[in-house]
Amino acid sequence: MSISLSHLTKRYGDDAVVDDVNVEIPEGSLTAVLGPSGSGKSTLLKLIAGLEIPDEGRVVIEGDDVTDVDPRHRDIGFCFQHYAPFRHMNVARNIGFGLRVRKQPKDVIDAKVAELIELVRLEGKSKSYPAQLSGGERQRMALARALAIEPRVLLLDEPFGALDAQVRAELRQWVKELHRQIKVTTILVTHDQDEAMEVADQLLIMHEGRIEQAGEPTELYERPATEFVHEFLGPTTIFKGASIRPHDLELVRSSEGAMEGTVQSIMELGFEVQVTVALSDGSTPWVQMSRNEFRAFEVATNSPISVRERVAK
Amino acid sequence: MDTPARRPSSELGAPPARKGWRRFSRRLRTSFGLYGGASLIVGYLSIIVLIPIAAVAAHGFSFSIHTQGWGAAFWHWHLSAGFGIFWHDITQPAAISAIRLSLWLSLSVAAINAVMGVAIAWVLVRDQFPGKWFLEAFIDLPFALPTIVVGVVLLFLYGTASPIKVDLFETWMGLLVALLFVTLPFSVRAVQPVLASLDGESEAAAKSLGAGGIRTFLWVVLPSLWPAVLGGFGLAFARAIGEFGSISLIAGGIGRTTTASSYIYNLTQGFLWTNAAAVSTALLVLSLLILITTNVFARRIQRRLAS
Repeated sequence: MSISLSHLTKRYGDDAVVDDVNVEIPEGSLTAVLGPSGSGKSTLLKLIAGLEIPDEGRVVIEGDDVTDVDPRHRDIGFCFQHYAPFRHMNVARNIGFGLRVRKQPKDVIDAKVAELIELVRLEGKSKSYPAQLSGGERQRMALARALAIEPRVLLLDEPFGALDAQVRAELRQWVKELHRQIKVTTILVTHDQDEAMEVADQLLIMHEGRIEQAGEPTELYERPATEFVHEFLGPTTIFKGASIRPHDLELVRSSEGAMEGTVQSIMELGFEVQVTVALSDGSTPWVQMSRNEFRAFEVATNSPISVRERVAK
Repeated sequence: MDTPARRPSSELGAPPARKGWRRFSRRLRTSFGLYGGASLIVGYLSIIVLIPIAAVAAHGFSFSIHTQGWGAAFWHWHLSAGFGIFWHDITQPAAISAIRLSLWLSLSVAAINAVMGVAIAWVLVRDQFPGKWFLEAFIDLPFALPTIVVGVVLLFLYGTASPIKVDLFETWMGLLVALLFVTLPFSVRAVQPVLASLDGESEAAAKSLGAGGIRTFLWVVLPSLWPAVLGGFGLAFARAIGEFGSISLIAGGIGRTTTASSYIYNLTQGFLWTNAAAVSTALLVLSLLILITTNVFARRIQRRLAS
């Protein structure tokens, strides 16, 4: 195990922001810590980096107990939410910062910086200042700066939070690809479940300072251990008094084994269509289906229709 | 449709002429937007600063209009004679030594307080301790106190009858202490807001990359502070070179501790108005040079930092 946290607790006053967290993070994994804002996920990351000091518990990285080790000796690459660029240094000097601190010879630094600039695709920008870069470029520079010290662990705090949707989607794929190349154990913090499901091979769901569930994304999606995980990982709707995924419901013409009702509203989102049905018991579940499935029904608002749980084929 | 007047005139030709008052008021409003702010500032400065300064400078160059008619000869004579008198006045041995003393004292004071200003601002921004509010208020004391009061206090503390047995009367050390005191708020207050506006993220990033406290300060924090430090340096220097009240008592009145400002005062006591104006003009030029230099450097750094 690359990182193991035991009984990790951090309190601000009487509030436990991180509350008795026990977790093992496998070597070389790309783990996403997912949770709503205020769930303690960023604090957890800072505890691992040593930027916050835990009230209780231990942090062990590759077998070394680093709980009492100063952050600068932990060999951890940390990317901040707002990238924390050194604004008075150009891209090359930003990236080489950790190596200069380590008193590496100049030619070694230059070679390493050139290699990283290529890796994060900032060719031609090495003399630019952070103020002259776009958000995505700044983020990549921050990544290269963290990677320059060849860290044992890479920690990313909401790495895509401040970017627009397009750049965000590109950068996600890119980070995933980068991780495949360099294989450094990586933890990223996010509040976006799509992002977490897409990028990570391991998920940690945090809620009110505690780990609700840990495991592979599909496993968590299909077998959520708690109601919170179920609700947080994807859309839910209420059918026959139970919480269910809207894509596990289907519309049917016949009322056999189904509940009758009328179509209340239809929302077409390109490939996906969401149909909300007012049922005879007064509930209004919504059904998620593909555009083709929807076309087959020829329903409109106020059409009579029935809803049942989708039968596995 | 857009009003044609809003488009660049090159595209559509000149905008159609508007009649009378509307056109006039529109012109007035537009030009006020462009030049109004600037002309307001220049006008105000002219009345309270530029005209008096010009008068002093003119007096220093002995520009007074008499005799000999108008024409090339008039200007030639007056300019050369004026400059000759000016040069003669400011190259008196007493004048040179006074200006030299003011210059190196002011530079030292500005430099020492640039360092101390950063240190004090750091403590005020980053540390919490009992009595901090008092220290905050105390920093501004030199702004509020009449400088002659500072002079009296310093004479009492460091004069010949010093209760702490430190006699700085009639020494450059006494002048230095007085000037350090009166210029400190400039240095501290210039740096403090900039330091407070820094988020801790860059410092945390430096730490996670392996930098210790001193290196983080020198490589990451200080470069962001340079424009503010330079600004404080310029203000402290300008204040120090013009300071009179706080140093007039502890200086005593002997030649060795006569600063440029005291020298000017002494000249006016002897009704040597032209000499006084000449030395004043020299001081003015020096102060302006330092202010402009620090401003240029500060702007150059600031431009790079701006995002």
